[in-house]
Amino acid sequence: MIHVQHLSKSFRVHVRQAGWFDAVRSLFKREYRIVEAVKDISFSIQPGEIVGFLGPNGAGKTTTMKMLAGLLHPTSGEITVGGFVPFEQKAEFKKMMSLVMGQKSQLIWDIPPMETFLVNKAIYEIDDRVFRQTLDELVELLELQPLLTKPTRSLSLGQRMRCELAAALLHRPAILFLDEPTIGLDVHTQEKVRRFIAQYNREHQTTILLTSHYMGDVTALCDRVLIINYGTLMYDGDLKVLTETLTPYKLLEIHFPSVPDVSWDDYGELVAVEEGKVTLRVPREQVPEVSSQFLRNFQVYDLNIQDPPMEEVIKRAFQEGAHVS
Amino acid sequence: MRRYWRIFQEFFRTCFVEELEYRSEFLGNLLSSFFGVGIAVLTVQIFFYQTNQLGGWAYADVLILLGIFNTLQGAIDFALRPNMSRLLEHVRKGTLDYILTKPVDSMFYVSFRHLVFWRLIDILLGVGLIIYGLVQKHYIPSLADILMFSVSLFSSLVLIYSLWMMLMTTSFWVIRIDDLSFIFYSFFETTRFPIGMYRGWLRILLTYVLPAAFITNTPAVALLGKWNGVTTLLSIGIAGLFLWLSRRFWRYALRSYTSASS
Amino acid sequence: MFRKYIALIRMKYVEMLAYRLATIVWMTGAMVQPLITMVVWTNIYPSQSNSFILYFITLIFVERMTSAWDVWELDREIREGTFSNYILRPFHPIHWAIAENIVYKVLFLIVLLPIWGVLAVFVPALRPDVSGWQFVLFVTALFLGATLRFMFSYICGLLGFWVTKVTAIYGMFEVVSLFLSGRIAPLSLLPPILKQISMYLPFRYMIGFPIDIVMGTMTRVEIGYGFFGAMAWAIIFISVLRWLWKAGLKKNQAVGG
Repeated sequence: MIHVQHLSKSFRVHVRQAGWFDAVRSLFKREYRIVEAVKDISFSIQPGEIVGFLGPNGAGKTTTMKMLAGLLHPTSGEITVGGFVPFEQKAEFKKMMSLVMGQKSQLIWDIPPMETFLVNKAIYEIDDRVFRQTLDELVELLELQPLLTKPTRSLSLGQRMRCELAAALLHRPAILFLDEPTIGLDVHTQEKVRRFIAQYNREHQTTILLTSHYMGDVTALCDRVLIINYGTLMYDGDLKVLTETLTPYKLLEIHFPSVPDVSWDDYGELVAVEEGKVTLRVPREQVPEVSSQFLRNFQVYDLNIQDPPMEEVIKRAFQEGAHVS
Repeated sequence: MRRYWRIFQEFFRTCFVEELEYRSEFLGNLLSSFFGVGIAVLTVQIFFYQTNQLGGWAYADVLILLGIFNTLQGAIDFALRPNMSRLLEHVRKGTLDYILTKPVDSMFYVSFRHLVFWRLIDILLGVGLIIYGLVQKHYIPSLADILMFSVSLFSSLVLIYSLWMMLMTTSFWVIRIDDLSFIFYSFFETTRFPIGMYRGWLRILLTYVLPAAFITNTPAVALLGKWNGVTTLLSIGIAGLFLWLSRRFWRYALRSYTSASS
Repeated sequence: MFRKYIALIRMKYVEMLAYRLATIVWMTGAMVQPLITMVVWTNIYPSQSNSFILYFITLIFVERMTSAWDVWELDREIREGTFSNYILRPFHPIHWAIAENIVYKVLFLIVLLPIWGVLAVFVPALRPDVSGWQFVLFVTALFLGATLRFMFSYICGLLGFWVTKVTAIYGMFEVVSLFLSGRIAPLSLLPPILKQISMYLPFRYMIGFPIDIVMGTMTRVEIGYGFFGAMAWAIIFISVLRWLWKAGLKKNQAVGG
């Protein structure tokens, strides 16, 4: 569905001046700085996949996504999305994709979301029957019924996001770009949005590319992740494999009636000691042995084995800076 | 074409809903429109208190000119002006990206998305003033006059749209100024009176460089039966040229937007 | 007081720098309408072109130096509730507006005077034959005009405590003043009835009166009456301003800003 080869993008940034004199001078002679936002990235995405796109701020995620959506012209490299070259901005291409940006709204502020939907209906030339069908489905999945007729400005952030999603999906795009779709939402609404995305993908086989700051979005939705940092692609593959290679340890959480006085270092790296609870970081292959030792030698209430949190995995990925594949 | 007409109707409908949301009073808008026309006519009367012709035009002629001016101004305020600040906002907030991902011409979208239908009153008042001028002059235009008038009025609409679009497009770079429409109105003011008033290089400037002469004067002359085919053709040509230029400029701006923003 | 003003002016200066481009554009734009009117009059009376040129160029200068935008500022601040911040401080908010006026008008002066100087080299009509006395009278009248226009705008702005559409009302007054302040035509060319009315209303003293002093078309008696009228309106405006301010504060306290 999406093929990207040796994609690069650099920007020429105008260095701005402050005073009167400099402002006048900059009319004639401008100083520029070249910023390389994306450097030689290649990957491809199959139809129906949900792929998570991870990286710190300014890593090149949004730039890449905008190039895929045809909003930015690549400096070099090749992109095809659904058989189209995005920056040619063909109408057929635009009709098969959609973009949702968590921080930017396409809904019209002062009027109900339904009005925006009707504008989109006209723009995307959606047939009356198909429109009604799609709308009914989205209204049901996203629980929009009570929101449709309220002015957008009176909706909460979460309600607005659900309407944004509906507005973006009315023309049944085959590809959906989601840029930080859950930003600023409360945990409950985040959960709702995730469930919707997963379900929609299952039912319609929509190819989805998602960027997010919240690991929860990624772990819940994506089997596959792309990690980008300093404009280069550092990892492309299975999320589980990544966790195992990058963090070859697990977290052992042991609950005691009273915490014994032992030299913890013999078992693993001590992470935290709280009242009645000790957390240890133990290499993966030693986990079975260490846990049975504890169960044998101490009085233990409970023992949990956990994967390290995703945040930590990603942090490691960035710290090590190496290509993992 | 029909598709764009449908989209335009949709724009109009949403703006209607938006306007009702605020319940802006009918009376206030009506009053301000009448006030505007009244003041314009009063100004002309003050000039004609001291003279009986202006740049070769009699009182009734100037009223017709003013009627055309008012009609065109109404059209600008109806469809173009509300969109100026919106484009700035789109560029500043990055929501222009949504427009660019839609299968619709982006120049069409940014110039007609927001409409203030109250200003249609100004168009009606302008037409009223044209008719009043004709009555004052005891002149009934022939069918050919009206045809020529319509053609050149259409040209002026295209011309205004193009000039406006060019100004609006600069907001990709000049994002500090909140309301660039001010600049356009300054220029548009020059078309309020007969172009024959201006002398020397100013007249050349207003005829050939910034074609103010073709905006109100040509339609007015046509309506009064003094049209000539060459001028009308020229006005069509100039309108086409400026439309092409504004189109090129918009494309250029988009190109630099899509290769420069982050 | 003086120190406070220095601080305010500094702040307003920095603020203006941020909007310098917009300021210059607005200033240039404000010249267009008078220039068109000038062209109209030189067409009507070609033989008196020179005096019309002087009249309208002086008009541009006077109009800029007396221009007032406070009603829009106040309207916005009252609507958005930020005006309360000013009320809380132990310094009358009008001083902020005065400081801002000083900064912008110095800027106008700095831009306009050299332009006039350059134009005067090429256009003889722009070298007015003005005596020292006339000049002093002009500057005084200009100062009075700026004060009147400022106070009028501020008064309308304060009405924002009670009325929502003050800018629309002010806009109407501005249009009426187009005729009565001498911006569409020198007052001497107006129908006598309009000219009579203009003597009793404040608008003429905001713009037309200083220009007429430069043109030298008034007798001493007329100038005397003019200053009397301007002073009278200034006193009226000051009283109204004080009264409105007190009433506005009360109103503001009652509704809670």
